[in-house]
Amino acid sequence: MMKRKLVAVVDDDEFVREALPDLLRSFGLEAQPFSSAAEFLASESLDRTGCLVLDVTMPGMNGPELQLELATRHCAIPIVFITGDADDGQGPRLLARGAAAYLKKPFSEAAIIAAISGALDSGKDVLCN
Amino acid sequence: MDIQPSRQSDDTDLRRAYVHLAEAQKLSQTGSYTWDFDRGELLWSDELCRIFEFDPATNITTDLVEQYVHPADLTAWRATVEGAAAGANVDLPYRIVTASGVLKYLHAVGTRIEHASERPVIIGAVQDVTERKVAEEALNKARADLAHVARVATLSALTASIAHEVNQPLTSLVTNASTCVRMLAADPPNLDLAQITAQRTIRDANRASEVISRLRAMFVRKEPVAEAVDLNEAAAEVLALSASELRSARIDVHVDFAQGLPNIRGDRIQLQQVILNLVLNARDAMLAIEGRPRTLWIATARGEWGQVLLSVRDAGSGIAPENLDRLFETFYTTKSDGMGIGLSISQSIIQAHEGRLWAAANADGPGAIFSFSIPCDVAGSTETVSKDA
Repeated sequence: MMKRKLVAVVDDDEFVREALPDLLRSFGLEAQPFSSAAEFLASESLDRTGCLVLDVTMPGMNGPELQLELATRHCAIPIVFITGDADDGQGPRLLARGAAAYLKKPFSEAAIIAAISGALDSGKDVLCN
Repeated sequence: MDIQPSRQSDDTDLRRAYVHLAEAQKLSQTGSYTWDFDRGELLWSDELCRIFEFDPATNITTDLVEQYVHPADLTAWRATVEGAAAGANVDLPYRIVTASGVLKYLHAVGTRIEHASERPVIIGAVQDVTERKVAEEALNKARADLAHVARVATLSALTASIAHEVNQPLTSLVTNASTCVRMLAADPPNLDLAQITAQRTIRDANRASEVISRLRAMFVRKEPVAEAVDLNEAAAEVLALSASELRSARIDVHVDFAQGLPNIRGDRIQLQQVILNLVLNARDAMLAIEGRPRTLWIATARGEWGQVLLSVRDAGSGIAPENLDRLFETFYTTKSDGMGIGLSISQSIIQAHEGRLWAAANADGPGAIFSFSIPCDVAGSTETVSKDA
């Protein structure tokens, strides 16, 4: 079985959805944007996703809630959290729950690429149940 | 039953009444005095002597008492004494520092009695209100602490929301710029995507700057109400509203309003916010001042080019020259409890009125002077007249 290699970007900010996939593609990664947790969960990309870049604060289901939902579904996709709230204080809790990384916006190219590479390498070849 | 009380029981009653009076004075911490100002005789009750820490055998004179009056209250005390000699009633809160160095807050009252003896005398009472004063000050301090906590909470909520709002466009800006650099460095360069991502960075930078504009609009209404404003009247209202704040900080207010000022056209409430901000800043600047009068001057004038000027001058510690330029920056403050928003918002308001707000050091003495000028608008006042008609 091939390692799943799609990087899904879930962020309610349309400009992040526009900019980040272009940067990831320039590194030879396959990237797809989603505007909400619901859109991602309903997509057929779920089984192909090797890394989830996930905004913490979103309307509807937020980032941490999607993390719990994926855990409930035994869907072990490594998650790189990104947050615009400088001091939301959620980092340690999200990392303890198994997140691969927790980055504050704005993040550098080096930081996001290193986090995603690490996440893709750690991914297991287990499909979501 | 004694119909005709004996002399003995007279004495007993008198003694009993005296003991009652002395007890009541002690309990209420109120001493009484009789002042025969023609003869320069002062008769003090034991309790009043105790309050002043005088030996009851002391020969009490106004000159002696004056030595213990707090220097800051001396002027008011002397004025009251002179007024009383001329027939006015006494009603004076003041402070004393006793021989042992204790600061006491007193409240003296007194009234002139014409016929109690051959000459008019003043009979009155002095209450030691130190405990109440100390409790009031503790309450005020608790209130100030609470206000400080509230301001800090507001500030931290505000910074969090600013950070969030500004970080969004910055995130896509940094990402687009990174992609652009990579497209240019590729072999061969991808000029199409480089151009697109470069254009996006410009757009993102503009979005970030719009966030700042929106933030300013939150504090300053974008379209101020335009009405004819009499600046003297607007300033007088602000002084009336802040009178008790200024009195409790023992600040003397000197008003010098120019007569016949033309109306200016603007938002009265916003302009009053600016004046209030300048007045309270002046008060804050003088809270730590001891040993010289805490005086606030507020003046209006007509400027050289027909504009209207208002200035607020304090006798505080002044502004260091290196800080003059930074005063109007948002979040710049020299106060432990300040948010650094007041002057920045004030400046936005004055600019919205096409005016100018500036600060300078006092030319003659310590302190600072804050002034604003606003062009006066004759058309504005005419319009209001026609509107009213």
